[in-house]
Amino acid sequence: MSATTHTTKAPGAGAAAKPKRSDAAKRENRTGWAFMAPFAILFALVFILPIVWAIYSSFFRQVAEGGGAYGGGKLVNKFVGLQNFQFVVTSSAFWSGIGRVLLYTLIQVPFMIIAALALAMLLDSFIVKRVTVFRLGYFLPYAIPGVVASIIWVFLYNGQISPIVKGLAAIGINVDFFAKNIVIGSMANITTWTFTGYNMLIFLAALQAIPHDLYEAARIDGANGFQIAMRIKLPNVRAAALLAMLLSIVGTIQLFNEPEIMSVSDPSISKSFTPMMMALYTSRGTLTPSGDGPASAVAIVMALIAGILAALYALAERKVNQE
Amino acid sequence: MVNKKRLMAGFSALAALSMGLAGCGSDTSTNTNASDGGSSDGGVVNITYMHRLPDNDGMVLVNDIVAKWNKEHPEIQVKATKFDGKASEMIKKLETDVKNDNAPDLAQVGYAELPEVFTKDMLQDVTEYAEQYKDHFASGPYSLMQVGGKYFGLPQDTGPLVYFYNKAEFDKLGISVPTTADEMIASAKKAAAAGKYIMSYQPDEAGNMISGLAGASGGWYKVEDDAWVVNTETDGSKAVADLYQQLLDAKAATTNARWDASFDASLQDGSLIGTVAAAWEAPLFMGSAGETGAGDWQVAQLGDWFGNAGKTGPDGGSGVAVLKTSKHPKEAMEFLDWFNTQISDLVSQGLVPAATTADAETPEDWAKFFGGQDIMAEFKTANNNMGDFTYMPGFSAVAAAMNTTAAKAVDGSGKVEDIFSVAQTTSIDTLKNLNLSVKE
Amino acid sequence: MSLAETRNMSKEERAALRARKKADRIRDLHANDLPRSMQPSALVKTVTIIVLVLTLIYFLFPIYWAIIASTKTPAQMTGSNGLWFAVGIADLPNAIATNYGKLLGWTRGNFWRWVLNSLIYSGVSAAVGTLVAVMAGYATAKFNFRGKNLAIGVIMGCMLMPAALLTIPQYSIFHAMHLTDTMLAVIIPCCVSPFGFFLGRVYAQTSVPNELLEAARIDGASEARIFFTIVLRILAPAMVTIFLFLFVATWNNFLLPLMMISADTLKPVTLGLYGMVSLATFNDRGALMMGALLGVLPVIILFLALQRYWQAGLAAGAVKG
Repeated sequence: MSATTHTTKAPGAGAAAKPKRSDAAKRENRTGWAFMAPFAILFALVFILPIVWAIYSSFFRQVAEGGGAYGGGKLVNKFVGLQNFQFVVTSSAFWSGIGRVLLYTLIQVPFMIIAALALAMLLDSFIVKRVTVFRLGYFLPYAIPGVVASIIWVFLYNGQISPIVKGLAAIGINVDFFAKNIVIGSMANITTWTFTGYNMLIFLAALQAIPHDLYEAARIDGANGFQIAMRIKLPNVRAAALLAMLLSIVGTIQLFNEPEIMSVSDPSISKSFTPMMMALYTSRGTLTPSGDGPASAVAIVMALIAGILAALYALAERKVNQE
Repeated sequence: MVNKKRLMAGFSALAALSMGLAGCGSDTSTNTNASDGGSSDGGVVNITYMHRLPDNDGMVLVNDIVAKWNKEHPEIQVKATKFDGKASEMIKKLETDVKNDNAPDLAQVGYAELPEVFTKDMLQDVTEYAEQYKDHFASGPYSLMQVGGKYFGLPQDTGPLVYFYNKAEFDKLGISVPTTADEMIASAKKAAAAGKYIMSYQPDEAGNMISGLAGASGGWYKVEDDAWVVNTETDGSKAVADLYQQLLDAKAATTNARWDASFDASLQDGSLIGTVAAAWEAPLFMGSAGETGAGDWQVAQLGDWFGNAGKTGPDGGSGVAVLKTSKHPKEAMEFLDWFNTQISDLVSQGLVPAATTADAETPEDWAKFFGGQDIMAEFKTANNNMGDFTYMPGFSAVAAAMNTTAAKAVDGSGKVEDIFSVAQTTSIDTLKNLNLSVKE
Repeated sequence: MSLAETRNMSKEERAALRARKKADRIRDLHANDLPRSMQPSALVKTVTIIVLVLTLIYFLFPIYWAIIASTKTPAQMTGSNGLWFAVGIADLPNAIATNYGKLLGWTRGNFWRWVLNSLIYSGVSAAVGTLVAVMAGYATAKFNFRGKNLAIGVIMGCMLMPAALLTIPQYSIFHAMHLTDTMLAVIIPCCVSPFGFFLGRVYAQTSVPNELLEAARIDGASEARIFFTIVLRILAPAMVTIFLFLFVATWNNFLLPLMMISADTLKPVTLGLYGMVSLATFNDRGALMMGALLGVLPVIILFLALQRYWQAGLAAGAVKG
């Protein structure tokens, strides 16, 4: 536990405040932390400590002591340095998983955001009167827990049960939602079904916040409905759309429920289909090497990749904004 | 710079704190949870027991069985809790609990998982108490509760593989339960021509069922000079691969995953009329098939399909183990022996009990579905005809890899025999990653 | 509102806020009636409505299917027409009662108890979580304090961490605090949401005017008083959004209670349903669907009841995102 050597210095380092700070700044500092404190304490307990634990444990592996056939029933934490990370970055299963979630993100996120945006614009287009019915109808799937949503959809994909597959077959279209190249699309559909309504509501709210005199002015200038949508509405929801996109990317990298439930029907979906599945099943011993050490390493590498992607996205967004 | 230093210091403080919290646990635990099991209160010994039995409507609930014990044994009070998750999740929780000295005294553990749980340092050697209860249980399952000659609990239920078939449909097709591999293939082709299937290939059960079928001819894992000798590509395995490959090539077996609704659908529409199944699947079949074929189904022993004169192998089944942190192993075992011999109550939970203290009676509705047959007697026969199969620590990883590979044989991107070569490499990898000795 | 007119600011501000909310409501209500001059052609109108209705069917069909499925036995689930009940309308109450009975059986009679537990977990977590998130968001939006940027960075970074994997260390920590198998073990982790903090910060940045705070300070109001009487009022619609987000997230979480809770009387409803599904021997999918639908009923009722508020809240967040 070499980490402890620094601890005694910690409070001293914190208290060595710059003496020249004004009273006002000091007060502001105090007030800020006072408001921050409840969240910060809970956050340390729920996030920081476990993450530190995860990082620490990623340098260890649990192995049977004494070797032999059964290891004598003793288990030890063995320091393995970067071996767990080496395992992760050289694991073809891990990179295939990353590849799958990236592909998934590329298909699903833009599709969902565009669909949500389109629906919001249509609902805001003064064409429909009973907006509430649509709004709530689109939003309802968000209330269904992810696991349940996946179970429902797996039934609707199932060739022998689904009224959809049977109905399509009856009119001559044979679809196999579990076919090799389609299965990712089938998963993406479940995510899309669940979250499109939520995103749409955010966009709709943004659209409805646009002052109406802007529309009137545009109309007087001779713009048609489509032009208004493109020139006034779209720019006004851009910020919301970019944010939704970022959150969706972070969410899909952690893809778990959909492939997990679908693997019941399609056993060719492996336990390392996505990095999140790989991490969880490594931790539970269904994948080898197993245990918390390798599992933490998977999670950390995965979080780093997600972080890099999010940063790249944010950079790209800023660049586009400047132009 | 100052900020950075402070950050480092802060993190180290947190790290130290976290290590203390997560690693060292607490010996002074007075938690209301399972740790109560360790404390005795005025001469009363408290035992906690964690299970994942179904506890469904119409069954004798575990809590009700336990209540009977508690009434008769005021000095040993048992508290049962049901874990609402998968087996692998329960092991993970117990692993953490044992580390935190917070684990129940008794926990349900599958036979295939016992060596792994042992290697994870979670079990208590109760050989001295187990001896006296030996005669209460079938010898095969009893020996599955030991690792390297030490016993860690008592067996609860068994899952010998048998053959379920719809006799009326078989008669209609003019076939009977095949006795040889050739006969099986011929009959399967004949049935398939009529749109019926007398075998099912279940990729998601490969790790349990296929290993059981192959294991019927001889084990995969042997210990020599305190090191593992792994051979998953035995003659038995080859025979299994050969038969299923032929069935798949001839499209004479269903390929639905066992736990997918489409398997139920194949029973429901009457196309699946025969399959290898574990004994505990009987009540599930009844629920899935509904009215289809009710009263026409029968249970038979496996034929000589895999060149082993019709021996059978294990598929699933669990025992209850005494966990390392239990402070009352003697009392825990006393209760456990009583609990695992409550045969009719366990049958109501859908189990085929491992206890032999009384004959398990076939429940009325089971007999009704299986044409009045005493299927419990068939299961007992199968139990006595089971080959020895020892599981290795970390078998769940092998089973998972087998399932994924098995699925590839369905769409033709792989062969059935690949299951066994993947099992071989995964077995060796897993053992090595656990730091156990392997003889290659 | 100029700085000169700051006497009785809080009262005036309250009135102004009320007026603004009312105006919002009126505009929402009449948004679709306003620009008469922009009525689209009949063709566009028809096409749009068809698209919207088809989309509505897409979103509602799986739920419709689940409702139908919740009345079926395992055999009917696979053997009958998926689009309609397997039994006649007259027998429907019986079929429902059968599956309801099975559901209570699978959950050992605890079903409604578990729904109540879920309500407690979600309600308390969301309420506390919203308050602390808004406080923290307000602190980072309106105050300069040491370590602020670091705190923001760390919190935002944690949005990337797969929370499910933190359950195991969380369990060890909570065990050391003697909190496992208590309600707090579920409530405390669910209170903390980096996303909630993020929303709180954005809302505070965009909708709390600095002038207002300055004016109140000049009046001699304490920081706590300013926050609880003025800021919370302004942020109310935003808070509803965070509340609902946390509520749904807590409601759907089953990995955390799976680790933390052993006692049957403390389980949330999703854990019970997960317990059904994860039994290898489970095939009573109709009863599961009934449980799932009855289990989300409280969430749906809550959404409908708070509709007006969360829509206003979404707007507050969306303007400047």
